[in-house]
Amino acid sequence: MAEPTTASVRSFDDEALPHLDALYRVGLRLTGDPAQAEDLVQDTMLKAYRSWRQYRPGTNAKGWLLTILRNTFINDYRRRKLEPVAMDLEAVEPHSIVREMAESDPEGSFFSQIVDEKVLEAIDALPTEFREVLVLSDMEGMSYADIAEALQVPVGTVKSRLFRARRQLQGALYAHAVEMGYIRPRKA
Amino acid sequence: MDQPIDCREAEARLQDYLKQELTPALAVEVRVHLDRCRRCFHHARFEENFLRMLEERARQEVCPGPVRDRILQALRREAERG
Repeated sequence: MAEPTTASVRSFDDEALPHLDALYRVGLRLTGDPAQAEDLVQDTMLKAYRSWRQYRPGTNAKGWLLTILRNTFINDYRRRKLEPVAMDLEAVEPHSIVREMAESDPEGSFFSQIVDEKVLEAIDALPTEFREVLVLSDMEGMSYADIAEALQVPVGTVKSRLFRARRQLQGALYAHAVEMGYIRPRKA
Repeated sequence: MDQPIDCREAEARLQDYLKQELTPALAVEVRVHLDRCRRCFHHARFEENFLRMLEERARQEVCPGPVRDRILQALRREAERG
């Protein structure tokens, strides 16, 4: 295997290392555990370092690294535990939660009142399939096309998972806000 | 121009519109609808606040110093091994 040259080591430091925070955050969201997140990020960085020649300088390093992280997670870390079950909002009560939220707080100002910990808890409760697209898109700013490539699924699948992930998260945060008294529900 | 889109269609496209993932033509259709429909305009703010909240929360979480140090050490060992 070809060894990284001095120049490529330098470019790895410049282009890959700045994304350590993002990798750690996504690692935490995917594994739900700081120790596992650390191992996952370390494995990811070592793999990235070894295959750095495949990276084209100046392209999307963050997306490239997150793709390695996500694949490493799926192959080596995915816990054999029961996943939270996706709640199909459309099937349960079409649009009712969206309508109730819209009536009670039309502009969603309650979102900013919810403490970080609760937001992260609600994200962690999403099924992996939903959680990964939401984190990559809405927290780390990856494009739908890059996510589709990383997950090896069509862009349409990314879109529909995102739509359902966001609705489910909004519903959970809304329920929490009502419980905490941040908003008073107004029944439609 | 084609038929203007209705609320249902606007809502279905709203998140993708805010994430700038629509083609320019589809984005224009959403924008035109939002200019005319108060309810959907509010709903756009709702989705916008939600998305902004997620972006902001993400930025607050960083890799702890000791974890960073251990990862950098592992990379250095890898580099020395060559």
